[in-house]
Amino acid sequence: MAAQFHLEIITPTKVYDEGDVDYVRAPGVDGAFGVLAGHTESIMALTIGEIKVVKGSVEKLYASTKGFAEITDKGVQLLVESAEPKGDIDLHRAQEAYDRAKEHLSRKQEEMEDQVRALRALERSMNRLKVAEKK
Amino acid sequence: MANLKDIRKRIGTIESIKQVTRAMKLVAAAKLRRAQLNMEQARPYAGRIHGVLNHLLPDIDRTMHDLLTMRPAQKKAFIILTSDRGLCGSFNTNILRQAEHIVKAAGKENSKLICIGRKGYEYFSKRGYEVVEHYADFWNELDFSHATTMARAVTSRYLAGEFDDVKVIFNEFKNVAQQEIIEYHYLPLVLEDDAEEISTDYLFEPSKDEVIKSLIPRHLNIQMWRFLLESNASEQAARMTSMEAATNNAGDLIDSLRLEYNKARQAAITTEILEVVSGAEALVE
Repeated sequence: MAAQFHLEIITPTKVYDEGDVDYVRAPGVDGAFGVLAGHTESIMALTIGEIKVVKGSVEKLYASTKGFAEITDKGVQLLVESAEPKGDIDLHRAQEAYDRAKEHLSRKQEEMEDQVRALRALERSMNRLKVAEKK
Repeated sequence: MANLKDIRKRIGTIESIKQVTRAMKLVAAAKLRRAQLNMEQARPYAGRIHGVLNHLLPDIDRTMHDLLTMRPAQKKAFIILTSDRGLCGSFNTNILRQAEHIVKAAGKENSKLICIGRKGYEYFSKRGYEVVEHYADFWNELDFSHATTMARAVTSRYLAGEFDDVKVIFNEFKNVAQQEIIEYHYLPLVLEDDAEEISTDYLFEPSKDEVIKSLIPRHLNIQMWRFLLESNASEQAARMTSMEAATNNAGDLIDSLRLEYNKARQAAITTEILEVVSGAEALVE
């Protein structure tokens, strides 16, 4: 078996300790990147997207929002404002958020700031829906 | 001598008050446990963000980001955290008194207030302070998204130049019996010098500046979350202690009223016996 590293996904409300894993793919600001054991020590900004964790033959998906990854020789910590394992995503809530954001965006005369906020919400809810519906 | 019926009624009333205060105490204890759990769960995230930011800030140019740039602090803002509801001892009174003192020292006219929790809003809006924003009715379903909403509102006002300096006044949870009122400098960002040493040279992606730009809002969000959690835990602890005291006082009161009741009852019986005896004696003669 290939070398493994320790992975933790840390959010303000919960820590997901994945233990030793083979591979993780995270949504970097400039595109997704993958990490294997022995990666250069780095700090990378993360954006809304999906985190994929590979442990042996098991794959796990998370829907995550903004944050950053800290990669050291001790392991990888993904610090994100929210992360939900695929099975825990509240589809109903995500759909509601999606509809709400859509409706906000359809109203033209709103302030710039509200538009931006709605756009962000749309992005987050779309990401959740996308991850949840993956096979 | 007090009327027997009156005393019995008072005992009954106090008995039911005691039940209410005891129930409130138990509810507060349960909520406190949850608040403490939340605090524990937030700690690793807050610690890491803080650590990395602290490591990075000393060697970057403060002018690169508006939230770092020091402006002459002419207009100030204060974020004051109180509870929505009372019956929590001197929790709100203390913080309101101290906050008012701080705001007055900074100049009432140059200060804008953001009140989190209804008690603070009621207090300051009645006294003619400029409350630009207030939040209430969320403590029961406290969620991280509340913190981000608040942090964003404050940040956008700050960036629009509405104020040049933001301080947060909140109750920090020391332990169940103790809360400490803290004044925290929220914006512009200043970090303490307890910079945790990160020995390695990191590779930054996309760039160091970009990473810092993304870190700052994360940091502000988690700080706001911490204030909410600390204040919430303090509130529940204060309520628990004061409701416990109230329950004990009610017990004491009931005891002393019982004593009075029994005395009154005995006195009444004695008088009655006296009346019967003297009546009987009068008949004999």
